[in-house]
Parts: sequence; C-alpha cells; structure tokens
Amino acid sequence: MKARTGYSTSLKQEFLKKWIKGIRIYSNFKKDMNILERKKAIKLSADLAIASTRNASTRWSRTLTANISKNETNKIFVEQIFSDSEVIKKEAPSRLMARSNRIASKKIWRRSHITQIKARKMGPYAVKARSIAKKLVKNRTKVLKSLVPGGENMDGISLIKETLDYIVSLRVQVDVMRRLASAAENSTRLGLSSKCSVHWLQGIFTVLDHWCAMVH
Amino acid sequence: MSSRRSQMRQAGVSRITEDQIVDLVSKLQQLIPEIRNRRSDKVSASKVLQETCNYIKNLHREVDDLSDRLSQLLESIDSDSAQAAIVRSLLM
Repeated sequence: MKARTGYSTSLKQEFLKKWIKGIRIYSNFKKDMNILERKKAIKLSADLAIASTRNASTRWSRTLTANISKNETNKIFVEQIFSDSEVIKKEAPSRLMARSNRIASKKIWRRSHITQIKARKMGPYAVKARSIAKKLVKNRTKVLKSLVPGGENMDGISLIKETLDYIVSLRVQVDVMRRLASAAENSTRLGLSSKCSVHWLQGIFTVLDHWCAMVH
Repeated sequence: MSSRRSQMRQAGVSRITEDQIVDLVSKLQQLIPEIRNRRSDKVSASKVLQETCNYIKNLHREVDDLSDRLSQLLESIDSDSAQAAIVRSLLM
C-alpha cells in the first residue's frame, strides 16, 4: 500500500469522474427515482468511487466494494461500473477470523501469565494503572476496527496504516461532495429565477463533464 | 513490549519495532485536526485512537448529510419538467 498525502488534485478528479459515472449508470437503471433512491444512488456511487481510487490495493477499499456488492440489487450496478476497469476481488473473511481467533487466545493466555510475573516485580498499583491504560487502548482499538471497513481482522500495524489511508480518502470524498453541494445551493439561495438556476447547474455539470473528459 | 516481541517471534512474524508504531501513531495525529497541534509526547495513544474514531464518525456523517443535500437539490429541480429534462440529460 502506497502512502498518500492529502490533497492531490488528480485524486479528487479521479473520484469525481468515477462518482459521476456511477450516478449516470444508476440513473440508467432506475428511471424516476424518489428522493430516497436518489440519495442512495449518490451515496453508493460516492463510496464505490472513492474505494476504486485505491485499485484494490488496500483492505478497506476491497471490503467496502465487496460489502456493497453483497446486496443483490447493487450487484448488477457494481458490475456495470467496473466492467471496463478493475476486477472486484472477494475477501475471504471466515478463514482469517479463525486464524486470528487462535492467535488471540494464545495471546490472552500469555498475557495473564506475564501479568502475574509483573505484579511480583512492579507492585500491584503500577500494574493496575498500566492495565487500565491498556484496556482503554484495547477498547478504543475495537471501536476503530468497527469503523474501518475490514478492520476486524487486521492486526495493530495494518489497522493504523489502513486507517491513515482511509481517512485521507474520506477527506477527498467529503471535500468534493461539499463543493458540489454548496455550488448548487448557492445558485438556489441567491434567489435566481428558475431559468437562471438551471443555467448555473448546467454550468456546474458542464464544467464537471469537461473536467472528467480532460482527466480521462 | 518485550512480551509482544516474543509473541511475534513465536508466530513467525518479523519484529515490529516500537519506533514503527510511534511513527504511525504520530502520522495519525498529524491527520486529525483536534490533536494536530499538540506535541506528540503529550498525547497518549488512547487519546489519538479516541480522536481518530470521532473524526471518522464525523466524516461518515458528513458524507451522509451531503448525500441528503444533493438528493434534495436534484428534487427541487425535478419539480419542473423543463428543468428536469435538462438535468437528466446532463446526468445520463
């Protein structure tokens, strides 16, 4: 997994292009969507798009794509989006779970044994303080694992690395979505006539189209 | 820490140094606006984890809110058929 810094424009453009493509394909699938379906189309396309910018090189992106594809109705849509590009790799969670559980139980035995040895050396209070701190870290790590897609099966180092990449990607996603939303909203809020507001939006989408075409 | 190292050796995994962990945690700290400006030795690992979790939850919520906003924006356009036709043609 390559490390990435935050704000490369090409990453944003890649996300935007894939996002718009996803919305288009979804619209072709379902004409006359209600507002809930529209939201789903927007969100699903955004998640697939940001995951696909990693080209299956990170666990979180593979898991995210796989989770979306699990749903039967989404599956066809996902296959359409990826038809001309990368393959959807399937994660094999069950095998990994069994193995990590075995390792975990070994660790628990060793840890309890070592704590007894330490208590003799350090004294009970120091041991207690340290075990509270460890518990805190352990609980918070658990929460983090539930937030990062595929986090449950990762060891500590992988979890942090994946979290770093995931956060960078989420920020790109939010940034691009935010810009589009506020640009569209500004045109409405300025109280422009209906013709003008369509013109603004038309402008936005035209710019986006050109942008996408340039990046392609 | 030595207990973890001997466990790692037992599992056949190469040694993961404490420096590596410290390095990754500080990278994480750099990313999170809440604790970015504090000195790394003053922020505990559990604090970094806590703020990381909060940050990710906030980002998830923002994506959801933005999806709501955008779907509403399209709706207000769709109410008029001429506008709807234009927007649809742009999206398809």
